[in-house]
Amino acid sequence: MKNSCSSVSRLLDRYFDHEATKKERIFVERHLTRCSDCQERLNLMEGLRASLRKPVEEALEKETFPWVWEKIEREIRLGKRPSWRESLRSWLDMTPLLRRKVWIPAVVTAVIFILVTAPILFKKSPSYLERSVVEYVESQTYNVMVYESEKAKVTVIWLFEGPDEESSPS
Amino acid sequence: MKKTISLFILLLITIFLFPLESLAQIQTRLRVIRASNVGSSIDPSLRDVHKELGSLFSFTSYRLLIDEPLNLSPNRPISVSAREGRIMIETTLLGMSKGVAELRIRVTREGKDILNTQVRLFSGRTVLIGGPKLREGVIIYAFSARF
Repeated sequence: MKNSCSSVSRLLDRYFDHEATKKERIFVERHLTRCSDCQERLNLMEGLRASLRKPVEEALEKETFPWVWEKIEREIRLGKRPSWRESLRSWLDMTPLLRRKVWIPAVVTAVIFILVTAPILFKKSPSYLERSVVEYVESQTYNVMVYESEKAKVTVIWLFEGPDEESSPS
Repeated sequence: MKKTISLFILLLITIFLFPLESLAQIQTRLRVIRASNVGSSIDPSLRDVHKELGSLFSFTSYRLLIDEPLNLSPNRPISVSAREGRIMIETTLLGMSKGVAELRIRVTREGKDILNTQVRLFSGRTVLIGGPKLREGVIIYAFSARF
């Protein structure tokens, strides 16, 4: 019996705080039906809790704890802000499609599209001087005519024989 | 996965930032043509320029004498001889930018300059130099390039 009381004594606090396992609870309850000392000790603990609970509850009802809320609000204000990467990631995670990393090929496609279209969009139309083909022409023995055909995409430099050349065979 | 995408993007950027012009070597084509009014034959290998030639000149016959591809590098002249070495056509690539090759063409006959010119050869465009007489017709030098 004494051994059993010492065993229950170790478990009684846990039983009182509802922390005992089912097996322990059955063991304690079975013992309490037979042991008046342990029953009395349990009653004492329950009486002590009841006597403490009442004034504490009365005090809590009167108190509004404004300082607690101030402290919580201050903590929220001073709380660490997420970095832009964390914000972006959390934003992306909101969409199930993006969570599947569909955005990787989408970004690659966008980059390709920009690279392909940018040179076309920003292409400078050539001026007349930029389009002209012959920059200079010089001939000591011939008269020269230059003809630039835009339609046929052909430029002709034609050499007309001078008076001294006409007599000599080419 | 990320590494592959990064390499792919880098490759695309490289292609767009360093186009083919920057390779500093272009392939041009020089064709020496004899045009005359004797007969009405058109050399089959001149089909691509026959329309242009027909719209510009009134010759009835075009015969290809020389067809020479010229791999031009900057400031390295390439010479082509015609008419058994009597005529020399020297072509030099001076520069290249945005699909335009700047060429200096020098034509000499028996060592004597008959033409000095500097032209901008656009891709897909042809430059014809003609006029010197050759037998019953004239000789035409056709320069073209695609790059």
